[in-house]
Amino acid sequence: MSPDDKDIEKNAEESEAKAATDDSSVTDDSSPEAKEAAAGDETAEKDETAEKSSARGEESAAGEGEKSAEDSPDGVEEEEEEEEEETAGADDPPATGPAHEGEELYGLLAEFKSPGDLVSAAEKVRDAGFTRWDCFSPFPVHGIDPAMGIKMTILPWIVFAIGLGGLGGGLLLQWWTNDYNWPWIVSGKPFFSIPANIPITFETTVLASVLATFFGMWALNKLPQVWHPFFKKDRFLRVTDDSFFIGIEAADQRFRRGETEELLNNAGAEAVERVYIDPDPAAKKMPKPVLAFIMVTSVLALVPFALVAKARADRSPDPHVHIIPDMDFQPKAKSQTANDLFYDSRASRSDVTGTVARGELKADDHFYRGIKSGQWAAEFPAQFDVSQSTVERGRNRFNIYCRPCHGADGKGGGMIHRRAMKVPQQGWVQPSNLHQANIVRQPHGQIFNSISNGIRTMPGYATQIPESDRWAVVLYLRALQRSQNAPVDDVPQQNRKDIR
Amino acid sequence: MSAKHGQGVHPDEKITAKNLGGSIFKAALPAGVVFLVIALIIGAASGDHLSRFFHSYLVALAYFLSVALGALFFVVLQPLVKAHWSVTVRRLAEILTSTFPLLGVLALGILIPMLLGSSGPYHHWVHPAPDDHVLHGKAAWLNVPFFAIRVAVYFAIWIFIARWFFNKSVEQDDTGDAEISDRLRAASGPSIIVFALTIAFAAFDLLMSLNPHWFSTIFGVYYFAGAAIAIFASLSLVGMFLQKKGKLTRSISVEHYHDLGKLLFAFVFFWSYIAFSQFMLIWYANLPEETVWYQPRLFTNWSGVSILLLVAHTIIPFVFLLSRWTKRVLSRLAFFSIWMMVMHYVDIYWIVMPEYIAPNQTQTVFSYAVGDLAMDLFAFIGVGCLFVAFAARTAAKVNLIPIKDPMLGDSLKFENY
Amino acid sequence: MSTAAHVEDPRAAFREITEAVCVAHERPQPPKAWYVAMVISLGMLGVLGVSLIYLFITGVGIWGNNNVTAWGWPIVNFVFWIGIGHAGTLISAILYLMRQQWRTSINRAAEAMTIFAVLCAGLFPIIHTGRPWLAYFMLPLPNDMDMWPQFRSPLMWDVFAVSTYGTTSVLFWYMGMVPDLATFRDRAKNKIAQLAYGILALGWRGSARQWHRYERAYLILAALATPLVLSVHSVVSFDFAVSQVPGWHTTIFPPYFVAGAIFSGFAMVLTLMIPARYLFGLEKVIKKSHIEAMCKITLATGTMVGFAYGIELFIAWYSGSMYEQFAFLNRGLGPYWWAYFLMVTCNVVLPQLFWFKTCRTNPWIIMVLAILVNVGMWFERFVIIVTSLARTMLPAAWSYFSPTLWDAATLIGSFGLFFTLFLLFCRYLPIVAISEVKNTLPEAHAGKH
Repeated sequence: MSPDDKDIEKNAEESEAKAATDDSSVTDDSSPEAKEAAAGDETAEKDETAEKSSARGEESAAGEGEKSAEDSPDGVEEEEEEEEEETAGADDPPATGPAHEGEELYGLLAEFKSPGDLVSAAEKVRDAGFTRWDCFSPFPVHGIDPAMGIKMTILPWIVFAIGLGGLGGGLLLQWWTNDYNWPWIVSGKPFFSIPANIPITFETTVLASVLATFFGMWALNKLPQVWHPFFKKDRFLRVTDDSFFIGIEAADQRFRRGETEELLNNAGAEAVERVYIDPDPAAKKMPKPVLAFIMVTSVLALVPFALVAKARADRSPDPHVHIIPDMDFQPKAKSQTANDLFYDSRASRSDVTGTVARGELKADDHFYRGIKSGQWAAEFPAQFDVSQSTVERGRNRFNIYCRPCHGADGKGGGMIHRRAMKVPQQGWVQPSNLHQANIVRQPHGQIFNSISNGIRTMPGYATQIPESDRWAVVLYLRALQRSQNAPVDDVPQQNRKDIR
Repeated sequence: MSAKHGQGVHPDEKITAKNLGGSIFKAALPAGVVFLVIALIIGAASGDHLSRFFHSYLVALAYFLSVALGALFFVVLQPLVKAHWSVTVRRLAEILTSTFPLLGVLALGILIPMLLGSSGPYHHWVHPAPDDHVLHGKAAWLNVPFFAIRVAVYFAIWIFIARWFFNKSVEQDDTGDAEISDRLRAASGPSIIVFALTIAFAAFDLLMSLNPHWFSTIFGVYYFAGAAIAIFASLSLVGMFLQKKGKLTRSISVEHYHDLGKLLFAFVFFWSYIAFSQFMLIWYANLPEETVWYQPRLFTNWSGVSILLLVAHTIIPFVFLLSRWTKRVLSRLAFFSIWMMVMHYVDIYWIVMPEYIAPNQTQTVFSYAVGDLAMDLFAFIGVGCLFVAFAARTAAKVNLIPIKDPMLGDSLKFENY
Repeated sequence: MSTAAHVEDPRAAFREITEAVCVAHERPQPPKAWYVAMVISLGMLGVLGVSLIYLFITGVGIWGNNNVTAWGWPIVNFVFWIGIGHAGTLISAILYLMRQQWRTSINRAAEAMTIFAVLCAGLFPIIHTGRPWLAYFMLPLPNDMDMWPQFRSPLMWDVFAVSTYGTTSVLFWYMGMVPDLATFRDRAKNKIAQLAYGILALGWRGSARQWHRYERAYLILAALATPLVLSVHSVVSFDFAVSQVPGWHTTIFPPYFVAGAIFSGFAMVLTLMIPARYLFGLEKVIKKSHIEAMCKITLATGTMVGFAYGIELFIAWYSGSMYEQFAFLNRGLGPYWWAYFLMVTCNVVLPQLFWFKTCRTNPWIIMVLAILVNVGMWFERFVIIVTSLARTMLPAAWSYFSPTLWDAATLIGSFGLFFTLFLLFCRYLPIVAISEVKNTLPEAHAGKH
């Protein structure tokens, strides 16, 4: 029998025996139950168990079956010794077994029959003063917390704090986006309207709390941790099925090999096992399929980025791909095109004769055209408010629409002019200096008219600048002109000493 | 002792309150009458045809009615959901439901003057303006005789359900017949449907019709939520009071208070949810026929009370009752139970009073005369004393705990986990 | 397990539960009915695929939606599915807080159902926008245009409510499943299963210290999920109720929608669990009394819905508003009277049969009633959306809404998606919360406490 086979067989027998005789930790090859249970499909069962034990600690131990047996002869020994311990474990405290060369004792694993046994044993272990130990059960055992002396987790406080963060964050998000960064009136509601903001604030609070609960719980539990020394024990498979365990770590200060084993036995353990830390580094390695999966996924994850990068670098003469053609080419009448629907084949329709559309009756000559009783108006229209704020508005509009040509100071040296001078070009006329006497003398209405309809090479701005803004520009221009031709009386007395 | 479960009330437990109930009755009954008379005198002196008095009186009545309705809800609900934990406190709620006849008589204090030609607190629809077509359209529903009949029917139904459940439960104390529990259970389903319909329509009639133009489908649920808050707070307080007097000391444990606290918390949340739903939908849609109700409550001095409700009826109890820290320490739970009882009063006051149109139109709680506030207080104390007196009279006659309920054993050893 | 074994070894009872759940799962082949169901579901899923592709190529014009009834079937389906998705969280969270132990046998499946239903629900508003590839516009992402979602809109609330609900349901479901995945891991026979379940189980080892935090987290999640489940359908109801459309704007909508959602959700749980119980031999775990309890909740919520219908009708009259009055008259007597009639019959009248024990115990009757309730609840949403929109304030715009074949195909397809996912869940994941069921056994509390 090769060591390989031997190992497999032992495992198989061990677990078969266990499945058949729950209350006995004695592993006896000739046990009638074991034989009977195993008799049915012996070979198949063996293979399965071998496989199971090999891949026990999930990724950690995939393929361990062959490896541990082949690479380290200790593997075989270990199994044998453990069996001995188990045999002894039930009744008397085992003598310190032969040393496990190169293997470090992780701790003891004791199995119990019922939740009640587990709780009373946990009380004994707690009273003995252990700190690095734990109970294991297929479901949360009622009363285990006081029995182990587990203190209330801080999780609720974490959740509370993060939940408050979600609450504040939700409110802040809505205030900043809808009231501060991009205010926008909808259905007459205030920009920041608490009643309408409550649903989303509620949801962000709950979402933050839920995420805090979920991830906080796993983090406090130090999970995921797919590898654990106890997972090597077949016995421990039943912790998710029907059995109850106490594990005490050897690292505990009060841990004394024999004494502690005795303590567990006296506490009603069915069996006590020693658990060693596997010295084989291969056992802790990630199994190959997982590694392969992660590598392939990581490579594939780069593909979209690569495609984006390629798209940014490439130039193509082809037009866009029209994914939704009927959105890109809508069967609608566009302006300035022909359309057979109308008798004159014009898609753009003019107003019905003799009508004026709402809001388009521009009857007030002064405000809309700058004319008062047939003359250029010399004053601002009544509906225009001459104030600091309209001057500011005028400055703002001026800087957008006028400054490119006339320059910030209005002297005609704007960016476009300067650029035009650099390009050898015929026929470029410098924009007017707005401070020249004939312009300064013009009435407000005439300047308004020049802005609206343009003058010489300057185009009209009526379509871009609404009337009130045009008046604001006129007002600002007046202020600008005044600034360049200010008499000394305009300067306040106390500031006059500053001008030399 | 329930033989089946082998565990009953502790033999030394004091489970009757014969003397205590009797003495409370003797003290509270005259006090209640006196306070009501004083309130009536103040009301009569103010010379507005008792209109202000009727509002005060309606606040007090609607408040204690909500406690009794909450109790009825609790009594009917327990068999319906087969609750085990609540057996030790169920009788206390049953005792509170025995006040329906009293409340019915007190309701006559509004109905009879109305039948005699007064408009009670409902002057808007009893004498609608001639050009108010909306109200004339509602006349088929909102007229005094039909109103009186409806209110009488509600009380008749409540008295019937309450008495039936009470008598059966008391009968079980004697016979120990487990079948009675089954019969309670069978009756609880239909009863709760009738209860839901009656409480909704009673809320529409007694409170919503104060402003007869206004309508809100959720209003019945809103009043119910308040009633549930009232009963869970009251049950904790009654239990603690009795334990202080040496009764039931072994039967009601911190576990039961914890559950009552949890339910109180749940209904504080539920009330907030319902109140917010009602407000939000009306605020957002902004329809004049609906916003009319919130207008005085938000844009006059009443807005202070509205904010008080938001802060003290919702946020503060929510935050504190969330924690076990509050629910499992009796003094704290008592504090928040009283707190919620007070806030529930503010809630009812806030529903009723803004609808009172005083001669000078701008009156709010902040500008009420001291006499008016005193009248509110005396009416409240008056109705309250009568309510307590009649509850105490019932308590004196029966066991304070259903001693032979088959689920009593489970309830006694009940533990939260 | 013999009774004697119970006496000798308290563990037998726990093992019995593990076996009952795992054996069906570990069979190399699922039952034939599973294959039949899977083929049908995949066929329906194919229908969904075809209709979505056609939709994306052609546009929303393939549906019966028109200018007035712009919401049409997609939003009916959305509200229907999101309603279905309420029972899971109700069972997991609210019944947990109320200490209803019978929930343990069905909560896992109900949670799974919730997630799949929310998935189906989320599909509809997205495709209804007409440009689903721009769905990310609904999230507050910084962008070149410096534009932000309009947070005062109830449709935005939907985005947040549904996505929060979906996330919470998935996390709650997965967290509850971890100990059971560990059971699957420890029983797994082949490598792929070991590996997959091993990773999913996160190395769970049933440690008491971990159980302590786990249980606390479970309680917190339940406490958070309870108001959340109220909020989700309330927010969906806000879509309607904050508007001024007669028949939509009524203050009872939030609790009424929640009750209706729970109602339809429980009906769907019954529809799925009664067959699943037989197919996977779970009679020992999902007991008759559990089915009965679900019937009672269906009855209770159905009656609440009926209560809301009644109150709505009364207040519509009482309001004195002719628009309100017309909206409700139109529901009952207008062109869609048949839908209203179906809705009241299926939602209010028929569930009253559950007052009788015979009806609560006969699986056939329960199945039929549960399916009818689902039909009725679909029609409730249809009635609310279509009757109000097709008869708005502007009589010139009145029209009769007729769905197209593609409307029907999309709805059927969404059922395909739902059933396919559910069947996969039944086959590959723990369909019953094994550890929770064990915790409710008397043996778990025997001994010391």
